[in-house]
This record gives sequence, C-alpha cells and structure tokens, in this order.
Amino acid sequence: MSLPIEITKEAPAAPALKAGLLTLGKDRTWLEMVVMTLAFLALWPVLGQHRVTDFIIFCILVLSFDLLYGYMGRLSFGHILYYGTGGYICSVFIAYITPNPLLGMAAGIFVAMVVAMLVGLIVSRADGAPFSLTNLAFNQIGLFCALSAFADWTKGDNGLPSTNMQPVLFLDFLEKPVNFWFSLFWLLVVFYLLKRLTRSPFGVLIRSIKEDESRVRFVGYSTFYYKWLTYVISCTLASLAGVLITLNYTFISPHAMDPNANLDIIFASLLGGAGNLYGAVVGGILFQLIKNYLPIWVSDWEAFLGIALLILVFNFRKGLTGFVMERWAARGQSAMQPEGGEAI
Amino acid sequence: MLDVKDIDVYYGHAKVLHDVSLNVNQGEMAFVIGRNGAGKTTLLKTICGVRAPAKGSITYENQTISGMPAEKVARKGIRMVAQDKRVFGSLTVRGNIELAAYACGEKADTAVDKVTSIYPRLKELMHLRAGSLSGGQREILLIGRALVGNPRLLLIDEPTEGLAAIVIDDIFKILCQMKSQLSAVIVEQNLSIVSKLADRVFLMKEGKVERTISERAEIENTRDLERYL
Repeated sequence: MSLPIEITKEAPAAPALKAGLLTLGKDRTWLEMVVMTLAFLALWPVLGQHRVTDFIIFCILVLSFDLLYGYMGRLSFGHILYYGTGGYICSVFIAYITPNPLLGMAAGIFVAMVVAMLVGLIVSRADGAPFSLTNLAFNQIGLFCALSAFADWTKGDNGLPSTNMQPVLFLDFLEKPVNFWFSLFWLLVVFYLLKRLTRSPFGVLIRSIKEDESRVRFVGYSTFYYKWLTYVISCTLASLAGVLITLNYTFISPHAMDPNANLDIIFASLLGGAGNLYGAVVGGILFQLIKNYLPIWVSDWEAFLGIALLILVFNFRKGLTGFVMERWAARGQSAMQPEGGEAI
Repeated sequence: MLDVKDIDVYYGHAKVLHDVSLNVNQGEMAFVIGRNGAGKTTLLKTICGVRAPAKGSITYENQTISGMPAEKVARKGIRMVAQDKRVFGSLTVRGNIELAAYACGEKADTAVDKVTSIYPRLKELMHLRAGSLSGGQREILLIGRALVGNPRLLLIDEPTEGLAAIVIDDIFKILCQMKSQLSAVIVEQNLSIVSKLADRVFLMKEGKVERTISERAEIENTRDLERYL
C-alpha cells in the first residue's frame, strides 16, 4: 500500500507546531521580553519617557486586539469600548470612591470584564460583518453613556480627572517614570501570557476556528464557548490598557471611547502583522511613530495612512513582521537545500 | 442504530429532501448513491447536525438527534468526513489529530497511533503542514481524524472523488479495515467500491430514496445501480 508523496518544496511547519501542540520547543520568550524592554528603553531618550509610555500602552491594546482578530479572525469595530470602560471606571473609582489607584485599576478591569462577558454572549453568536457592526453598536452605546447618560459622574465632554490619586507603597503614579515601568511591566506580562495562550491547545483551537469553524464543530467542540472566552480575555486585556492610560494621564475623556479610534488599532495590527504577537508590538510602535511624527512633515498625513493601508492589504497580507519572517525563512531554506530542492 | 424517518429538508423555500427514510444497523456499511443534486450530501449534513429537518425524525441509538447542533452529534459518536477534503491547513498533520483527541479526551499519542495504524505512511507526514498534503493524503487524514475517540458511526461524503486510482485503492483498503468494526453511511459514486463493501445501498433520486437494496446479488449488479448515476 503506497501513497505518492507529492510534497517537495513546501515551507516547513512553524517550530511550535512542528513539535506538536503541547510542546513549545525552544522557548525564547524570556529573551524576547528582554529585547522588548531594551527597545523601549532605547526609545526613552529619543522620544521622551511620557511618549514611550503611551507607545507601551498602545502596544498592550494592539496585543489584546490581535488575540481576537489575528488569532480568532473576528474583526471588531468596537474594541475601544473596553479600553474606555476600563479607563472610565478606574477614574470614577479614584475620583469618587477611593484615591487608591490600584483599587481603581482592579475595579476598571473587573467592570470591563463583566461588560465583555455580557456583550460577548450576544456578539459571539455572530461573525463577519455582523460581529464587527454589533461591536460598533455597543461601542456607540458606551460612548453615549460616557458623554450623556452618566455625565454627572463622567463630566461628559470635559472629561474626568483623577489627580487625587494617592501613592500606594512605592507606586506614585503622579511620578512619570513610575508609569513607564508599571506599563512596561504589564506589557511584558500580557506578552508572556498571550504567548503561552496562543501556543497552548486553546490557541490552536481558536486558530482552527478562524480557519474553519464548522469543521471544529464536526470534531466535537462547542465553538461558542471558546469564542466567548477569547472575546472576554481580549476585551479584559484592552481594559488594562485603558486603566494604564488613565493612571498615566490622571485623566480620561470621551476620546478614549471614540469609535474612530478602533481604526488606529486595526491599522496597527495590519501594519505589524495580524496573528503574530511580535507584529502587534512592532505595529503598535510604528503606528504611534507615524501618528506622532508624520504630521510634523505632512499636513494630510491621514491620506498617507489610507495609501499605506491599501499597500498593506494588497501586497503585505501578513504585515511587516510576517513579510520579514517569510523572507528570513525562505533565505534559511534556500541555504539548507541543495539546488533544485529535495523531495521528501 | 441510526433511524432516519420521513425527513423533509429545505434550503430557503426549496425542498431538497422529500420524506427520506433510511436505517443503518450496528456494524453495517451503508452506501448512498445518486446523481448530482439528488440530495445525498444534504442527507449526511442533516444527520450530522449541520441542517435541521423541517419534518420527520432522526434517531441514533434510541435518542432523537434531529436538530441537535453538530458538536453534540459528534460527541454522541457520529463523525462526519465532508466532501471538500478541507483539513486545518495551518496545523501539522499531528496537530489535526491532536485537535480531535482533545475534543473527546483521548490521549494525543493514542490518537496518533490509532490513525497511523490504518495508514502507516502517515507517520512520515506527521510534522508537515496539513495544508501541504495532496488530496488523497488529506482524505486519509480526515478519515483517520474521524476515527479518534472511538466513534460508532461515520458519515463519509464521496471519499474517492477526484482522486488518482492508486489513492482510491488505499482508501478502499482503509474502508475494508473499518468494515464490521463500526457503522458507516458513505456517499459514493464508485460502484466497484460500493459493490464490494456495501451491506445496504440507498438509491436516491431528486431528493427521495427511490430504492433500498440489501440483497448481496443485487448490490453486486453494478449495471442496475448505474441507472441511478
């Protein structure tokens, strides 16, 4: 009994997959985290500590979005809702209930998680355009709450300061370096957790849902539960970014929940490469660089973003990191293979 | 074991199955044959939970499964191997098998051993991306993956469609190994396979089961069966 083996020049599987689902192969996560820390430290003197802290927080937001979009294939137009919810609840907690920023942080993340659990019950039943638009609708509701419905608490358009926060132990968030290190710490935690999660059987499952949900159901999985859980994890991580931005600025405004800001996250994710944690970090940094520095030289910089997006969508489907990694893999393969390739 | 009784299935307003009934006994290999558009694939999709019948009932081991979601049907021991040979292309061959193993709580190594026992050459392909496999290899992987977790009934849609003769021969041998160990409903146009393996044949035409054949001599009379293709 023989079967013709037709595979000759196919790319080998990614190392983690090559080793099966449960084994991680050589784990370079710690090294990657050190490199990431050094990269942000190197940016500090060039861009200024406050701006680099913004970059770090934005990277957390893009990482959280990447789990939902890059890994599970669900494009949300309302992800910023959770960023804003985390930020607002944290600020409201500090301003009205207790000046302890860590309690505000916990409250912000907890409330956003509960909102994600409830909204997730609805949106996880949809995919494609209905998923995107249902999220956008909830985002609009959130913005309405921040602007009008709870304006007595949120101060509407004026935004809500939380300057009354008190230091806790060695954490004085009114000191800017504290915000930098605190945000960097959480970026590394989020990166580490997502790396573990996406390489676990759970991660394989959500990627399989992205690939072909009905086949995952044929195998016997209740995909709704996994989609809901991924949504909740992703949105809760987004709320962490919202909380950190509140602590960094001691202020939150409705801008933090503006649906237009979803485009920033989507663009950053595509720029770096969706479905790739390095891509989320690289995309986050590059997008912030473009957004912060391009307007200095180009007045209609948004047009540049549009053109760049078109180029990305048509020519670099895996983003910049995906492109570099593919080229690198192709180079490695051609160096290893004898001329003409080797049939397996 | 499986009892489909008088089911009607619609796509929108179009009725594609009309009062379809069939039954499969324990350990039986039943084949469904018919022309394109006869409703064979819809029948399998309805049994495995992808579509819900508008009328009638589907009973499996004395439990009603009509209208049950696909994942619940799968957990009851019914596995579907679809016609389009779509595997999880970004996962390795081993990854595809492990994904099925986790769903039913089977150890990954046990599942891999089970799949390679029906087709040992798969061992050499374990670390390749499933997306890079040929059509025949994919079909074998899909059948193997469906065997993970000790299913009792397999639904296989056109397993040999579009495959080279040598691969069809491999699939035939795999089906021979499965015969009498578990039950199966197989949609197949290759009458040579049908005549050798079938315990029962359901002939479908325009959304109806026109005839059921269970006599050996009749099953082997491929000329008669050809009239339905």
